[in-house]
Formats: sequence, C-alpha cells, structure tokens
Amino acid sequence: MASFIDFRNPPGSDRRADTAIRATAEPLWVRRVVIGIVALFFFFFLFLPLLVVFQGALAKGVDVLKEAFTDHDILHSIWMTLIVALITVPANTAFGIAAAWAITRYRFTGRQVLLALIDLPLWVSPVIGGLIYVLLYGRRGYFGPWLQAHDIKIIFALPGMVLATTFVTFPFVARSLIPLMQAQGVEEEEAALTLGASGLQILRRITLPKIRWGLFYGVILCNARAMGEFGAVSVVSAKISGKTNTMPLEIERLYNDYLFPQAFAVASALSLLALLTLSLKTLAEWKNRRQFEAGQRSLLEPTIEPLHP
Amino acid sequence: MSIEITSLTKSFGAFPAVNDVSLKIETGEMVAFLGPSGSGKTTLLRLIAGLEFADKGEIFFNGENVTIKNANERKAGFVFQSYALFNHMTIFENIAFGLHVAPRAKRLTKEKIRERVLSLLEIIQLSGLENRFPVQLSGGQRQRIAFARALAVEPKVLLLDEPFGALDAKVRRELRTWLGEFHERTRLTSLFVTHDQEEAFEVADRVVIFDKGSVQKIGTPLEIRSGTSNAFVRDFLALDI
Repeated sequence: MASFIDFRNPPGSDRRADTAIRATAEPLWVRRVVIGIVALFFFFFLFLPLLVVFQGALAKGVDVLKEAFTDHDILHSIWMTLIVALITVPANTAFGIAAAWAITRYRFTGRQVLLALIDLPLWVSPVIGGLIYVLLYGRRGYFGPWLQAHDIKIIFALPGMVLATTFVTFPFVARSLIPLMQAQGVEEEEAALTLGASGLQILRRITLPKIRWGLFYGVILCNARAMGEFGAVSVVSAKISGKTNTMPLEIERLYNDYLFPQAFAVASALSLLALLTLSLKTLAEWKNRRQFEAGQRSLLEPTIEPLHP
Repeated sequence: MSIEITSLTKSFGAFPAVNDVSLKIETGEMVAFLGPSGSGKTTLLRLIAGLEFADKGEIFFNGENVTIKNANERKAGFVFQSYALFNHMTIFENIAFGLHVAPRAKRLTKEKIRERVLSLLEIIQLSGLENRFPVQLSGGQRQRIAFARALAVEPKVLLLDEPFGALDAKVRRELRTWLGEFHERTRLTSLFVTHDQEEAFEVADRVVIFDKGSVQKIGTPLEIRSGTSNAFVRDFLALDI
C-alpha cells in the first residue's frame, strides 16, 4: 500500500522520496526495453486473445450469434451461471463480513489458524474444491447413503455446484475487508457503543458505511470468480447441457462439439461480464483507497497510549 | 452519579494494566487520573465505561453493580482522545447519533432532537457548523463536537480520555478553562485522564495519581502539593526540585 501513497505526493513535497526515485531511476534505454517487454506481453497474452474471442463470435455473421443466444441450452447455461452467482455471492458476503469482523475485532485462540484457512481456497486447485464435496456428499461419500435415503441430491445438481463455487470464492470478501477494518480501528464502534447503540445498529450505521467500497470491491471480485469458475464446478456438475451446465462448462461442451461460433459467442458474453466487473472493480479500488487513507489519517493524528508498553 | 470501584484488576496477557484499585467518586465531583504513560489510567477509564471488562473487582454506579453490564447499557459519556467522530456523518448526525439509536419508546421526536443538537452546538460555541463533516473542522472544534455528542444523551457521568492531548498549547488552555466553567455550571460527575499535572491540578476537585496500575495518592490538588512521603509521587511531580 505504501508505494502508491508515496507516488501520490505532489512533486517536491518530500525531498527524500524525490531523490529516492531519482537515485533508483535506470538509464532511458533500460526503461524503454522494460516497458516494451511489458507492452508486448500485454498485447499477445491479454489483448489479442480478448480480440480473438469477439472476432470468433462474429466470424460466421450476426445471424449465427443471434441463433446462439436463442438456443435453449445456451440460455439455460447463462441462467445457471446467474443462479449459482446469485446464491454464492450473498452467502460469501455474509461469511466474509463475519470472518473479517471476528479476525479484526476479537482476540481468540485459533485466530491465526482462521486467517490461514481463509486463504486455503486460493492455495489449492479448484478441482480439489470440487472433489471434497464429492467425497462428502457423493453417492459413496460420508453423507451419501443418508442423502440418498432422504432423496436429496447434492452432487451432480445445483446444490453441489453452489457448494463448490462457494468454496472457491470464499476468500475474496474477507480478504478485501480485513486490511481495511484493521486500518480503521474500533474507536468509532466504541464511541457508538457508549452512546447506547446496539450491535446491529453499530454494524448498519457505523461499520458498513465505513467499509462499503472495500466490501463492494470484494463482492464483485467474488462475483467474477463465481461466474467464471470451471474446475470445481466441472467436478460436481454432471455436465448435462440444458440442465447442469454453467457458461464455462457450456463453452467447453460447444467447443468439443466443434461448434466454434457458438462457443465463442458464449465466451464473448462471459468476457463482457468480466470487463464490466473489471471497470466496477477499478471504481471500487479508487474509492476504497480514499477510504483506507482516511482511516490511516485518523489513526495517525493522535498519540494513543499503548496498552502494552 | 457516584462511582465506586472495589479492588479492580485487569491484565493484558501477563501485563497487569490495573492492579487492585479501589476508589470512591462522589456525585458532582471532577476527578483527574494523573500518571505517566502505561500507568493504567486509561484502562481504568475504559473499565468504568464498559469498553473493557475487569478480571477481578466490582464497579458500582449510584450503588448499583454494573460490573458485567455492557457499555451500551452503562451509557457513560465517553470522549475519546482521538475524538472518534463518525467521519461519514455530518456534525448534526454525529451529535444526534445517541438520540437516533435510542429505543423507539424512549426516542425523542425529530423536532426535539433538532432542538437539542442546535442548543448543544450553541453551548460549545459552534453554531452554524451542523452541516459540515468532521474532516472540515480543526482539532479543537472536533474535540468540542465529541464533547457535545457525549452530552447529547444526557449521561450521568462524563469520562474524558486525554481530552486535550492532541491540541496545541493555546487551544488546550482555552478548552481547559471552558471545561472547568462547564463543570461549575452543571456539576456533572466527571473523570478525566491526563499526563499533564498542570491540567489536573487546575481543573480537578481531586487528583488520583497512578503508577504501574496502582493508585499512589488521592487528594485535592492542595493536599497533594503540600507534601507527601510517597517517593514516586515526589519524583513524578518534581516536588524535590
């Protein structure tokens, strides 16, 4: 976080920072080569593929595109993607707020373990995220017989897909809130408490408004991952087109069936959703940084007597 | 409101912040907690407010045991060292906060809330600033807003944690005088934490001197300054020089 704060200083405001930039500055040709490499990388690995996706979708003309988006199976995959995201994102928003609250506001045994566990889904392959639910709720899993006896279907159905996606997207809300809530401290909440506010009133009137942009950032990141998840979902979905296929799974199905224009049509729709998310994310980042800095400022101002000398 | 504390103890890990403190504060008194950093005076104030909970000992408000009551039930007016104003709310909303969150049955009408907020702004001499945000005010102004916000809910006791700690010397003196006059007028039981002995002796009726979590000396400014055999107090107040 420190780096961008330094760069936001107007030139000359801090002489030491100024000379530091000058002292570490490379010769012009080195800078040009480095920037050139980065630009080439971006062009070939990010920009070109995106362009190809849209080009592929339009390759056989607009009619094929229109047909694709009236096809029952394709529309159903979009619907499934939205349903999964619609359940997963609110659930993980609630989990994320609760986890961030617990970690930043309380000191308890196992706090470090919880902090590490939040990151777990980022460290393991999404396929494992899918497999654990098969092992738990699948026909031969721990709860399989009981679920079968009660005629509840989790694996190869929507509940399993929601569970797998929830696992994969869990870290995003919590991770974007924890540093923010740590920077802001608890004094405003304590002030509200001494004024007679209840826990819920404090959450609604103080905490949520203070973290709203960080929360928004986490939620859309979570949403982007939820809509784009392939690995975990492909393990627990039966991959039946028109029944349990989400957009990423449907793209794979169409591609394997040599229906390239249709595959690219769905892919471009998914890419558009991602681009929309990206622009919302940028807005949130900008707003969040301002809130974060405001939090830091209010912390820096007074000299607070340390509790542990 | 009178406050009685009996053998209160609070540790953070292995560090005893407040160690077996007993005190009785009478209704209408203005008492200063004086001591060096880390002497436990802020922790004691937070224990009284209910922002921390004691390991041992009890706290009574007007004879009623409040030891296990939450801060939002005790409703002690608390002014934080860093003010802890709600930065996303206007000054009006800040001062009205305690009135807005009151239980529906006890909540004042909109007009009554407005009336009280405006009259508080007048008392702290900041009329006309109700639509500003905290970041638009100076340190001294924010301090007074924090004060008005605590007073809005009509607390029976006012707890001030280094109320003038973050202000420059001139504003500090002005606000200190103002606080003294306010207390003369209202006789609201008040406790304030400070490490500045001049501040303590000028404003307070009685001064409690802390060191290492324990009370070293209690008395009126005159009693304390007229001499003591406690080595720490003599050294801290520089009475030997």
